[in-house]
Amino acid sequence: MLPWVYEFRWEPTHIIFLGVFFSVLTLILITLARAGARTVRDIRSHLDDNISWTLAFEELASSSRVCRHELNGDIQHRTCTNEFDCRSCEAHRAFLVSGRSASAAVIQRSPTSSGMFGLHVPLDRYYHRGHTWVKPEADGTITVGLDDLGRRMVGKIEAVELPGPGERVTANGHGWTIISNKGRARLRSPIDGNVIAAGSESEEWFLRVAPVEGGPDMSHLLRGPEVKPWVMRELERLQFALSPDGGSPALADGGVPVRSMPDAIPMKDWEGVWEEMFLQA
Amino acid sequence: MDERFIPRGVQRAPFWRFMAWIIPWFGVLLWGLYGASLCLYEGLNQTNMDNRFAFGLWIYLDLTVIAFGAGAFFTGFLLYIMKRRELQPVINTAVVLGLICYSSAIMVLMVDVGQPLRAWFTFWHPNTHSMLTEVTFCLTCYIVVLIIEYAPLVLKNRQFRNIPRFLVFEFELHKLMPVFAAIGAFLSFFHQGSLGGLYGVLRGRPFAFREELGIWPTTFFLFVLSAMAAGPSFVLVITRLVERLSAKRLVRQNVFATLGKISGMLLTIYLGLKSVDTLVWINGTSPSAGFPAFEYYQRASFGTWILFAEIVPFGLVPALMLLNAKVRNHTPLLVTAALLVLAGVTLNRFVLTIQTLSLPTLTFDPFLTYVPSWQEVATFAAVIAYGVLLYSISFRYLPLFPQEREIARIER
Repeated sequence: MLPWVYEFRWEPTHIIFLGVFFSVLTLILITLARAGARTVRDIRSHLDDNISWTLAFEELASSSRVCRHELNGDIQHRTCTNEFDCRSCEAHRAFLVSGRSASAAVIQRSPTSSGMFGLHVPLDRYYHRGHTWVKPEADGTITVGLDDLGRRMVGKIEAVELPGPGERVTANGHGWTIISNKGRARLRSPIDGNVIAAGSESEEWFLRVAPVEGGPDMSHLLRGPEVKPWVMRELERLQFALSPDGGSPALADGGVPVRSMPDAIPMKDWEGVWEEMFLQA
Repeated sequence: MDERFIPRGVQRAPFWRFMAWIIPWFGVLLWGLYGASLCLYEGLNQTNMDNRFAFGLWIYLDLTVIAFGAGAFFTGFLLYIMKRRELQPVINTAVVLGLICYSSAIMVLMVDVGQPLRAWFTFWHPNTHSMLTEVTFCLTCYIVVLIIEYAPLVLKNRQFRNIPRFLVFEFELHKLMPVFAAIGAFLSFFHQGSLGGLYGVLRGRPFAFREELGIWPTTFFLFVLSAMAAGPSFVLVITRLVERLSAKRLVRQNVFATLGKISGMLLTIYLGLKSVDTLVWINGTSPSAGFPAFEYYQRASFGTWILFAEIVPFGLVPALMLLNAKVRNHTPLLVTAALLVLAGVTLNRFVLTIQTLSLPTLTFDPFLTYVPSWQEVATFAAVIAYGVLLYSISFRYLPLFPQEREIARIER
């Protein structure tokens, strides 16, 4: 029964004491092995993207988890508890049913209203909270890119690591990586789909995606009148991310964000700013 | 220089200042390791302990740090089993402190017992009638649990998080934490108790010997309760100390108040039982062994003041302070009360270890005195240095305080 113990005797004290000890040790090892087995299962099931997103969302400050319905004025204050995934959010559905929510807006087909706080923010597309966008094309495919604020935050792009044609991307999962002289910026995919073409740093878009069966569900993405208050909130968030320890962020005075922030602000930890703004774990 | 390893959204001291803090402690650690190596190589003749005074500074240190380390198991128990979510902001720091305390105790025991290469003998030749065997087994299991509890924190380091396998493992391990918290509570209950129990069964030492409740002497339960009272206070004091040293707010005031309240409630229960135990011992246990209790307090160093100090200024006073909501919301008073709790537990362990062995039990016995050698002091200092180093590195590179980012944003 307990072969490791020298001079073990079938006495109650030996049996109870050593039995409890080895039971506890076994339980510890089984629990540890269980965590390991679940890890292997999650990775094989490609759940690592979902887990990364869950952890990233959990760690966001509550001020960064503002619900879109607070941004567009449907409600005075609401913090998102659904990982920014309005597709499965009952509250979002209720707001839409009311018929007055800006979240029900249909996007425009022409790229109007491109000027917003000095940024180019066309309203012919949908925006993800991690600064990527989605634009439905006439042929049924979808182009995916990085918004203007995101591009200015990254600055000069040296290289991009894009998923190849045929690879699948999932909403909130890993999209692509941008490499600059300040480090690596990882971007989240705004939508589910299969990659059919990869762009480059010189083009406006980075991915062309074929939507998954059943058509693209873009109800979790910001659109139309929601975009402006979100951009304003993101500029505030950026100011916090850039402000030094103990310092207060300076209020914008009407100026225009520079083309390449890493070149203009010689701080060391730009990767940290990107992780914060692009919602990485 | 090391910004890429520092948790996102928090600010830490410049690298040069961190090194200036680390290097002196590293020097102390090296000095202590030299002292400990002398003890291991030359033998226990390097210490001022002998066959008559076999428990010295090291065992006193062991008992004290293990009591302080109870914050880890007790906070984990309250958070994961009792669902006291308000303790979430301090669970990480409680785990780090627990790991430091328990690993320190084991390292010092290795030097004290000697022959560390034969440490496995305790598992191969266990004396199942000894409380120390139970302590050894529980400590071994619990240090494994603490390392497992510390692992997700390490995997939360910014660079490790970029590795998907580590991220997923951390996520899955975290989901199973209630199991480890339950195991930790089970193990801690028994080893904290047995550390006290082993004094209570010393029939040849009437100063320490106590009546039995069930199969355990009363000191078993008093040790468990006092450790549970000291653990939250230790987490509180260290967190506040780190706040002062780093000039940052790390947790909200209500978390400190909760820790203080838990500590105060447990201390009150402990004090009640300790008072009853002391009265039974003075009026029954000790006289029946042929020793009127007042005789123990005739020695110059150990007068009745020591018993009074343990129960009133280091017991009743902090208990009353911590039970008062106004005190709990006044940080300086709260920290003072928590420090008094820790002083009380420290004094209790000193009394049981040093006073017990100093007092004569036979007519021809002298009153023994013991002053630790420099090797013992160096080993003691090394443990402190090790704790400071591990905590400092953890604080700098791991997200110990989940509320820190949010508080920093609000304060800006």
